[in-house]
Amino acid sequence: MVEPKDYDNDFENKWCPGCGNFLIQKAMKQTFAELNIPPEKILFVSGIGQAGKTPHFMKGNMFHCLHGRALAVATGAKIANHDLNIVVNSGDGDCYGEGGNHFLAAIRRNIDITLLVHNNQVYGLTKGQASPTSALGMVTKLQKHGVTSSPFNPLATALGSGANFVARGFSGEPEQLKELIKQAMNYRGFALVDILQPCVSFNKINTHQWYKDRVYDIQSIGHDPSDLAKAIVLSLEWGEKIPIGIFYQKESIPFHSRVGVLQDRTLISYPFDGEKTAAVF
Amino acid sequence: MRTDITVKIGGEAGQGIQTIGTLLAEVCHSAGLFTFSIDDFESRIRGGHSFNLLRISNEQVIAPGHIPDILVAIDQRTMNLNKATLLSDSLVILNAENKSDSDADIDDNSCSEADLEGCGSNNILKISLNRLAKEAGGLITANTVAAGCIFAVLGTPFEMLKELLVKKFKAKGDKIIDLNLTAAKMGYEAAGTVRYHKQFDWKPCKTDRIVISGAKAAGLGALASDCRFFPFYPMSPATGVIASVVPYSGKLPIVVEQAEDEIAAVNMAIGASFAGVRSMTSTSGGGFCLMTEGLGIAAMTETPLVIVNSQRPGPATGLPTRTAQPDLLFVINASQDDFPRFVLAPGNPAETFESVKKAFYLSEKYQVPAIIMLDQFLATSQVTQQNFFKVNKDVERFIFTNIDINKTLSPPSEYKRYAVTDSGISPRALPCMGNIMVRATGNEHNEKGEISEDATNKVNMTNKRNSKLAAMKQEMDLPEIFCPKGTDNQFFLTGWGSSKGPIIEAYEILKSDKRANEKGINFGYIIFKDIWPMDAERLKPLIANKKLIMVEQNSNCQMGKLITQETGIVYNASILKIDGRPFYAQYIVEKALEIIS
Repeated sequence: MVEPKDYDNDFENKWCPGCGNFLIQKAMKQTFAELNIPPEKILFVSGIGQAGKTPHFMKGNMFHCLHGRALAVATGAKIANHDLNIVVNSGDGDCYGEGGNHFLAAIRRNIDITLLVHNNQVYGLTKGQASPTSALGMVTKLQKHGVTSSPFNPLATALGSGANFVARGFSGEPEQLKELIKQAMNYRGFALVDILQPCVSFNKINTHQWYKDRVYDIQSIGHDPSDLAKAIVLSLEWGEKIPIGIFYQKESIPFHSRVGVLQDRTLISYPFDGEKTAAVF
Repeated sequence: MRTDITVKIGGEAGQGIQTIGTLLAEVCHSAGLFTFSIDDFESRIRGGHSFNLLRISNEQVIAPGHIPDILVAIDQRTMNLNKATLLSDSLVILNAENKSDSDADIDDNSCSEADLEGCGSNNILKISLNRLAKEAGGLITANTVAAGCIFAVLGTPFEMLKELLVKKFKAKGDKIIDLNLTAAKMGYEAAGTVRYHKQFDWKPCKTDRIVISGAKAAGLGALASDCRFFPFYPMSPATGVIASVVPYSGKLPIVVEQAEDEIAAVNMAIGASFAGVRSMTSTSGGGFCLMTEGLGIAAMTETPLVIVNSQRPGPATGLPTRTAQPDLLFVINASQDDFPRFVLAPGNPAETFESVKKAFYLSEKYQVPAIIMLDQFLATSQVTQQNFFKVNKDVERFIFTNIDINKTLSPPSEYKRYAVTDSGISPRALPCMGNIMVRATGNEHNEKGEISEDATNKVNMTNKRNSKLAAMKQEMDLPEIFCPKGTDNQFFLTGWGSSKGPIIEAYEILKSDKRANEKGINFGYIIFKDIWPMDAERLKPLIANKKLIMVEQNSNCQMGKLITQETGIVYNASILKIDGRPFYAQYIVEKALEIIS
């Protein structure tokens, strides 16, 4: 049996003490242990930002790529070998800003990967600039007069773009977060888990307590994840109350089942035969 | 005896110019003739002016023709643009409608008497293309009528045309076959007894040759290299490379995926390559700009990557459907900082096939990016080539397998993806394939792939990556050098990539040119195919003390600059063509003669 500690490594962690990433990472390790996936059999693809460093601080195969590009790299890897368990660690700036186009395309392709977006509503690695999910009017060192763009709504965008598994978690609710990641891993198709987390160094508004006071579990109030209309209404709720849980889940056909050549076997597993190739020229 | 005819067919986009050109080339091919066909078109789907320039010969042709021996003017503009260049013995097939009131649906873009003013040729055959097409059964057959007429003046037996039309339209049914045969026959008969004065010996002839474009050769080269994944974003003139592999979906295990942008295309290729599947993307200069960050991550993670850059004139959107060689220095230097890469520039479709195979081999052997330089001219020209498809039974992948791991590592956790070695090449294992973990990052990293900001490590890892260069240089073929015998007064037409054919043909013309001979000047040529990394040590003695005339399609003589940068040798003169149109041999000849006068 795989244990969460099997994912521990001795590489020095570089996150700030109290960072929400610690709890997210813990939930990941617990999930993989419960799913009995050893670190040799998982591929983390990550972008740039504090979230992008997640795979460095744990065991597993890893491709830590460029800003915003994790989904594109993960898509290529999954097409090459759809037997791979691929988890993408991205952040609000990485996924919803720099990688916005890839986010939309990954939803449309329904590529069978799990996307974890560490959403702290601020840029941490570059020291506190606004992110695509920062609140309108939020003051930062570089947005001295407050953020002038409205915040991006990842869940509403995903639902409106045809995503089939859409969830939101909170680093301060680790037990529920673990379940959400597990459901996402088990889901056949593109699975988004947007994870609210505090940034202890640069976001003094959306703190742990701020989230704690607002989040509520939509499953505990009986939300039916097959109800798209209700999911969209919930995705628009933000303020005094913030819903977390599985917003929407519907069985779907993942990319590799839409492509003929990938239906019976993985692309990498086909043998090469030069004579056969020459014969079809 | 060599017979060499250039046929130019001009009209509006949407009038089927390219279809006629293709049909002509196919019939010529079935008679064992050699063709070189270029399509010249604007960035539009309808209207404007486009033409097909088809050179036909009974001997191998390596460059396009230029001055038309036979001009087919489907519209006025073709006549007006070309009439001054025509020779007295040129033959003109003119679309000259003789309209009546009931011909409302026949367009009035055909030629009139006024259009003939200033025409250099006296041999004008007037044909009412649209009227004949209408009589044959529909305006849509106008291009088949034109083709019939062209074959008549070329002296092609109608049977040969018929055979090909039947084959071509077989899938569309008897009705369509009959329609086209009728149209072709009407065009054929409309020529009456008019024949062009040079004639070929038309006989069905089986050869081991094919007619192929550089784009298709690149696609087939990738398939022969076991490339299985083709992520791309459409861009002229690079899409043809991807289009050429699409027909093989279902026959071979390949996935062709249109990406959301070029950034995604290159990163998808990198992701698939990291996971173990050979991948290739194809783009043009503007798309390559977007891919440059991907080039960097491929280099830093030492993930094999093959990119085709089919060049066109820039900057920015430039001339989307035209040709140029403006990206050489860009691709050699693209992406921040410096890292080893391969840049190959084949000179014709046959070389393109081999260069793509070589790119895959080298990219995986050295775990560096490899870029193949095509351009609109090479990618889209249809050229007769000896059947050159040599597909190896196996491809060598240079992958560190589970067997290797268990044989050499104890325990397996000792695996270091970026182990420092004498060659600079570290063992490349695939993720999730065994009992080890493969860890790659775009940050500077230590041997295990962990982020490292250590000063000594930075130096060591940079040196490790760069230490591949010595062996990489040895992989590069030296340029093809033709050195004339005799006089010391020698000039070398020096170029790279797609200008190979026009340069060699220009040399052939200059060899017997009176003006050059009178001055006691001999010409030779130097053609670069494998460009980067340049092995100055081997190259220098070959080109030292030679007078180089650079022949390039860019404004700043990029290959000339590169030679100087790497060898210290300075070229003597340059012939630079930047109008977006391909090199013609005669153009190079004239410019070379100007230089020596």
